[in-house]
Amino acid sequence: MARTAHTSLWQRWAQDDQLRMILIFVPPAILVFTVFVMMPMLQAGFFAPWKWSGYGPAPWAMNETTQTTFGRWVGDRNFERMLGHSAFRQAVWNSGLVIAVSLLVQLPLALALALMIYRTSRANTVFRLIFFLPYILAEVATGLIFAFALDGNYGLSAWLSQLVGLEEAWFPLAERPWAYYSILAVLVWKYFGFHMMIYIAGLQSINSELLESAEIDGATSWQKAWYIKIPLIWPAITVSIFYSVLGALQVFDLVMPMTAGGPSNSSHTLVSYLYNFGFIRLDVGFGSAVGVFLFVTGVVFALAYRNTVQRGQ
Amino acid sequence: MSRMFTWADAARIIVLLAVSFLILMPIAAAVLGGFKTNGELRVSPFGLPEVWHLQFYGEILGGRRFWVYLGNSFFISIMTVGLTLVLGSMCAFAFAQTRFFGSRFLFGYLLLGLMFPVAAAIMPLFLTVRDLGLLDTAWGVILPQVAFGLAFSIMFFRTFFKEMPSELFDAARVDGCSYIRFYFTFTLPLSTPILATIAVFVFVQSWNNYLLPLIMLNDREGYTWTLGAMDFRGEYAAEWNRTLAFVSATLAPAVVFFLAAQKYIVSGLTGGAVKG
Amino acid sequence: MAEVRMTNINKSFGAVEVIPDLSLTIPDGSFSVLVGPSGCGKSTLLRMIAGLEDVSAGEIHIAGEDVTGAKPSDRGIAMVFQSYALYPHMSVRQNIGFGLKLAKTPKDEINRRVGEAAEILQLGPLLDRKPRQLSGGQRQRVAIGRSIVRKPKVFLFDEPLSNLDAALRTQMRVELAELHAKLNATMIYVTHDQVEAMTMADQIVIMKDGIIQQVGRPMELYNAPQNPFVAGFIGSPRMNLIEGRIAEARKSKILGIRPEHIDVSPDAGEWEGRLRYVEHLGSDTVAYVDSEAAGRITVRLPGEVAISTGDAVFLTPRANNIHLFRADGTVERA
Ligand SMILES: Nc1ncnc2c1ncn2[C@@H]1O[C@H](COP(=O)(O)OP(=O)(O)OP(=O)(O)O)[C@@H](O)[C@H]1O
Ligand SMILES: [Mg+2]
Repeated sequence: MARTAHTSLWQRWAQDDQLRMILIFVPPAILVFTVFVMMPMLQAGFFAPWKWSGYGPAPWAMNETTQTTFGRWVGDRNFERMLGHSAFRQAVWNSGLVIAVSLLVQLPLALALALMIYRTSRANTVFRLIFFLPYILAEVATGLIFAFALDGNYGLSAWLSQLVGLEEAWFPLAERPWAYYSILAVLVWKYFGFHMMIYIAGLQSINSELLESAEIDGATSWQKAWYIKIPLIWPAITVSIFYSVLGALQVFDLVMPMTAGGPSNSSHTLVSYLYNFGFIRLDVGFGSAVGVFLFVTGVVFALAYRNTVQRGQ
Repeated sequence: MSRMFTWADAARIIVLLAVSFLILMPIAAAVLGGFKTNGELRVSPFGLPEVWHLQFYGEILGGRRFWVYLGNSFFISIMTVGLTLVLGSMCAFAFAQTRFFGSRFLFGYLLLGLMFPVAAAIMPLFLTVRDLGLLDTAWGVILPQVAFGLAFSIMFFRTFFKEMPSELFDAARVDGCSYIRFYFTFTLPLSTPILATIAVFVFVQSWNNYLLPLIMLNDREGYTWTLGAMDFRGEYAAEWNRTLAFVSATLAPAVVFFLAAQKYIVSGLTGGAVKG
Repeated sequence: MAEVRMTNINKSFGAVEVIPDLSLTIPDGSFSVLVGPSGCGKSTLLRMIAGLEDVSAGEIHIAGEDVTGAKPSDRGIAMVFQSYALYPHMSVRQNIGFGLKLAKTPKDEINRRVGEAAEILQLGPLLDRKPRQLSGGQRQRVAIGRSIVRKPKVFLFDEPLSNLDAALRTQMRVELAELHAKLNATMIYVTHDQVEAMTMADQIVIMKDGIIQQVGRPMELYNAPQNPFVAGFIGSPRMNLIEGRIAEARKSKILGIRPEHIDVSPDAGEWEGRLRYVEHLGSDTVAYVDSEAAGRITVRLPGEVAISTGDAVFLTPRANNIHLFRADGTVERA
């Protein structure tokens, strides 16, 4: 559409319905996204070098009554404190464990099950629904159910303790490595179905003539899976790896009902650590510093992953 | 060739049944636990109750709190879904149909929102919501949820809109249909599958959300059911049967919703997810 | 010897019976083409020979051996699919060698045989490409290459040319015929294109609704169709099949006469009619004539004839090319 240089904005608005559409359709979403996602993230960067309780408009604003800023500038000390904090290191390690378990246990399990039930049949549909069910349950509900099952006075743990004949009941959620291992197990329980469904979708879209061709070539079921099916759903696998790594950085809801980070801060994830040591203690600067760490980890991973593993997809 | 029942088939069935058992057993134990007295729960956590005690479920379902929590969760989820669909699909339509100054940049800006966990900015977000005067209101949860859901829903919508036949749009343009009119008369009605899929995912996420309500809501009257469940657990710490009854009562709507919406859940996983 | 013999084959999908009872022998070394309308069970039959589909009843013998329950890879067959079914993540070389690799053939043996196949099909320069970097015809050749390295006794093709454009299709037809001559193996080829069938086959098998209508050499089917279905199916333009008075006059139910076997004259002949429509194809002219006695008749004329729509014409069927199909199923030919 040719336009003369001196048409006024108003004329363009009246004439150009594309412009009108863009100006009406785009800003609301961008505004909401900016105010509630990007601005807070940016602010986290600015708050990180301050000690601030959140009182007042900003840490650097002047408080008229005390004639000081609301917050106190601490430079990189929040980061220093964070990196030196054993609970933080534990949280980083724990989040890393989520990734490891996800890659080594959860995804292979999901793939194996997907290969078993991706074909359409009534029984397979039922199994698919059952395996996907945990993904739909709220983390809080899941966490409470397993908190019960692993409670030494009740549930699975009590039953096992009796079976083995322990003098005192076993409370896995109150014991050091076991508390977090339990969370890991429940994470697998809850999320493998999600990854399985991604794989099933990929497997179902494979051209059946390819598999028949492989059959004529003499491939066994194992060989068909290894040489044909898995390579062909590789894009779906990379997507599911991406989700599970970013998901590992988000784990929180499940931790609270199961252990709330205990015993002695051994089962924190990065987010539950942030909640406990930032939010609960109203330490905005420190919480922001942890947030910045999360942001950098997530973005660096995402960009690196997209440019290496997922390149060209 | 006639295939016979082989050992591999048997092994497969056994594995599938074992996994199903591991999934269903804890859920069943929770549901049944709500029918047992606390004493019985200690001795037989997984079996059927000796006597079916209905009073624990009865107290919860007959009381007011449970329904207030569910109502709050429902309102928050519905509003989140509605706003996400409206804002997300409009914005995605602009991205799919036109290229405008800065559109690539804006798209990348939205993509960035997919790369870090929601919780990273939780402290400044709390202050923003406070400064807007939305603490302890449903909107303090709804708006951030919408914002977090926008990035991913815009990706999905855009992919879907781009795959719609462009002849349709050309024909409508020739007939003198404006962009905005096209969106309302063609794009939206033809997009019900993707709208439904996104709606289901946003709804489930909102319904299950714990972190945001935990931070934004203090007043029990405004609690969502997830906060309520944790609260209940704290209150009846020694009585697992009541907590289990409460949790089980909340499972029912989730399972019903899941069965009703599974078609859209599956298409969500097959569609945009795999294409990224 | 690699004769394929099917005896009393029955095939049902659940309650749907696709092939009621079929017996057929494909001679050793022949190029046999299965034709028939869409949905008549050609692919199903081919897939049963391949072992991709179980037979509901009956037996299949390949080279004298009962393979009814055998795995596809143990039947000595190779198959080329309509979609080519090339493994998209493997190079051409890996695609061709995959079956050999599964059979634990030594590396240099694989290389040698892949090289041979590439030679025959002129795939040499393409060996390290991925399928998506190939044209349709090249993919087709790779698919064939993949089947020939296995040195099968029987080749099965399911509409392998239907994804190609007309020119390429003609070229590939010639190449397949040459390949057949070179390898001297039994080939079974499914198509619903009767031109493909006529040009390539030693033996044509015509099917309809899972039942074999006629088996024979192309010219046999052309000259002596056993029923009106075969008569109408083979030959282009279609044979005229005339019912009513004219057929009854010769004590038959249907009288068949091919368009090329009718003489046209402006002033005298057996049936009087008027030209409705004329198609000039260059080498031929196809004319459609409406006649009172025989209804609409298609006539094939030489390329350069001076006639035009609306002309009154007289048609005379050549007496010794008339096919008479009796109500009792017998056929009479002059
Ligand atoms: N797996 C199946 N389940 C049920 N019915 C089937 C199945 N496969 C084929 N059929 C039916 O069997 C009949 C024959 O199918 P087939 O694919 O053999 O036809 P065809 O002759 O190859 O046709 P085309 O020329 O269209 O490829 C069809 O009516 C089809 O609907
Ligand atoms: Mg077919």
